[in-house]
Amino acid sequence: MRIVVLGSSVYSETACAMAVRLAGCGHVPVGALVLSTFERGTLLRKLAQWGVRDVTRYARRKLIPNHGNAQGIVHNSYLQPWLKNGSGIFRSLRGVAAFYDFPVVVGTNQNAPDSIARVRQWSPDLIVFTGGNILRKPLLDVPRLGVLNVHLGLLPEIRGMSSPEWSLLKGVPVGVTIHYLDAGIDTGPILRRYEFTDAAGCDSLTDLRNRLIAFGIEKIGEVVASLDQGAITAIPQTDSDTDNDKDKDNQFFVMHEWLRARATERLTQSRIGAAAERMHG
Amino acid sequence: MNLSSELKQGITASANTDIPATSKDNARIQNAVTDQVARGLKEVTGLLRGPQRVVPVIRKLVSDKIHLTLEQRHLYSYTTTKRDSRDVLQSLLQWIIEAQRSDGGIAAYYSLLAGYSKSYPEVTGYIIPTLYEVARVTKSDDAVVAAEKATQWLLSLQMSNGSFPRGLDGETQPSVFNTGQILQGLVHAHRETHRCEIRDAAIAAGNWLVAMHQADGSWSGRGAYQGVAHTYYSMVSWALAELSEHTADHRYGEAAERNLDWVLSHFRPSGWIDGINLSGHPNFLHFIAYVLQGVLECALLRRRKDAIEAVAKSAWVLMRKFETSKFLPGAYEADFKRGHSFTCLTGNAQMSCIWLRLFEVTGDLRYLNAALKMNEMLKQIIPANGRPGIAGGVCGSYPVWGLYQPLRYISWGCKFLADALLMEQRLTHALDAYGFEALQCAS
Repeated sequence: MRIVVLGSSVYSETACAMAVRLAGCGHVPVGALVLSTFERGTLLRKLAQWGVRDVTRYARRKLIPNHGNAQGIVHNSYLQPWLKNGSGIFRSLRGVAAFYDFPVVVGTNQNAPDSIARVRQWSPDLIVFTGGNILRKPLLDVPRLGVLNVHLGLLPEIRGMSSPEWSLLKGVPVGVTIHYLDAGIDTGPILRRYEFTDAAGCDSLTDLRNRLIAFGIEKIGEVVASLDQGAITAIPQTDSDTDNDKDKDNQFFVMHEWLRARATERLTQSRIGAAAERMHG
Repeated sequence: MNLSSELKQGITASANTDIPATSKDNARIQNAVTDQVARGLKEVTGLLRGPQRVVPVIRKLVSDKIHLTLEQRHLYSYTTTKRDSRDVLQSLLQWIIEAQRSDGGIAAYYSLLAGYSKSYPEVTGYIIPTLYEVARVTKSDDAVVAAEKATQWLLSLQMSNGSFPRGLDGETQPSVFNTGQILQGLVHAHRETHRCEIRDAAIAAGNWLVAMHQADGSWSGRGAYQGVAHTYYSMVSWALAELSEHTADHRYGEAAERNLDWVLSHFRPSGWIDGINLSGHPNFLHFIAYVLQGVLECALLRRRKDAIEAVAKSAWVLMRKFETSKFLPGAYEADFKRGHSFTCLTGNAQMSCIWLRLFEVTGDLRYLNAALKMNEMLKQIIPANGRPGIAGGVCGSYPVWGLYQPLRYISWGCKFLADALLMEQRLTHALDAYGFEALQCAS
């Protein structure tokens, strides 16, 4: 199967791990299309998300390979199994691409005509999306099967942003959904839903997110294998997100820190509950 | 708040039924435009009378321009708390107290060009509940004193038929909308003070509103702004529903529901509401939010599920727009299309109040989430310091030259932001005290 990986940056750990995972399943990507790291919008978004100190630290770690621990440190330690490369780590998608021999193209917009033309040249059966722009129809229509996404929540109940946090607050199971992207926000046909049963083992929301990302990358191997064998059918989501009907709308938005703090409390409670169960069990 | 045109606009021309409809409309538009030009000129001459205001004007214009140029709105802009809500509440109270004139009324605005306006009856009326609530939360005696002075001034303005006047300049034309907004203040003032004369004034105002009601449930003709019916008069229904609850007199509640039905007939499937009906103005978010807030509060008092659902639909559309673009345009065309490029800060604060109330009613945490972010945005925009009239004030528009109340810090903006912050505190404290499980049971 011919697979293209889309990523938010050449330094995206998720994109690197995904490419390695696919290669490990016998599907070395035929190409990768990533956004430019120093694009103003991306940089500002990262600054707002992480703060100046963390962004500087992260950039230094990525750009100066010998800085710090010679073994390499990864932002999401749960991706380490895929990012390990002998005694070092894959620091960028270029490293992964050099190792497995596939091209990496850097652009400022994945929906731009030249980006789409480039992807079309690779004649993909499947695109695996790990980050970047909200994809528009011209790009979604390029691959024969569709564009796969790992959503960090169980669809169709929890769509949109901050899905793990909203799952915790709403008291619904935490998990990942592997689905095709369509024009809506997380409304495309579902291939597989996987409940994540070890949320109680996470010590923070960041830890939970990191583990869910790794969990999703692990599971995508199964899905791609099933797709390759024609052993899996995508199931359309039962409700539509195209109208304004609030009752049918399961979209969630970026969570404010006050609510995030309450979601963290939920996580702590479940950890305490699990520990108590172990003690008494 | 009809301030911009109610100052000058009479009702006689548009209420004259001998004039054909199109001529009447043209006359209304012409009057509105003339009024706006006159108002603009008057404010510019204010700068000549107070040249010391030149520096703050320039500073504000430059600061908004710089922010607009450099600011990057993104998903995470308003998700962290950078200003404590209690501090902002305190500065809003300070702004309102400084805007209270010697007669006891609250100025409508502080103009960067002309300084404080005269006392404005409408806003003085519906700021009273906010003052009492701030007093309760902050233990501020100043807020209670300000509310009492405001009430006393309003009592002196009431006309013999029970109505209250329009405008700023001692006009004698009765106004349905102003009477409704003042009625809210009177009901709350009576609840707090139990003074008989306040109760009598509230009942007289309520009786006048009921007498002015049209058969279709609207208020139009004499006493209505520009002589025509408006859906944002749902705020008047809310006041009548409050009076009904307070006095246990069903007549007011029935009148409120008749208007509620009339307003509900103007809701489109898209969530848009027709009948805001203001000639010479775009559909400012402030008025859209008025319709929604009036309907919602009235519906809650009258236990009208259909009305709550209608508001929830419109509020959801606006919430989704805010969440996806981090910005609510200050005015829209029908069906929430073609949003303007400025934002109406008062409308934003009102939307926050509506989302918080909907959260309270439905238990849907997304409303709370949106309101927390909206409040954060508003807190970041209002000036932490500066001269009286500016510090702690809420501008009509952001940027300050936007179409809604340009170059003015407006008292009703402070009122609605204070309401939103008070509600945020009440609900977040309740959630911390009783937990999300209680919320899930309730919803």
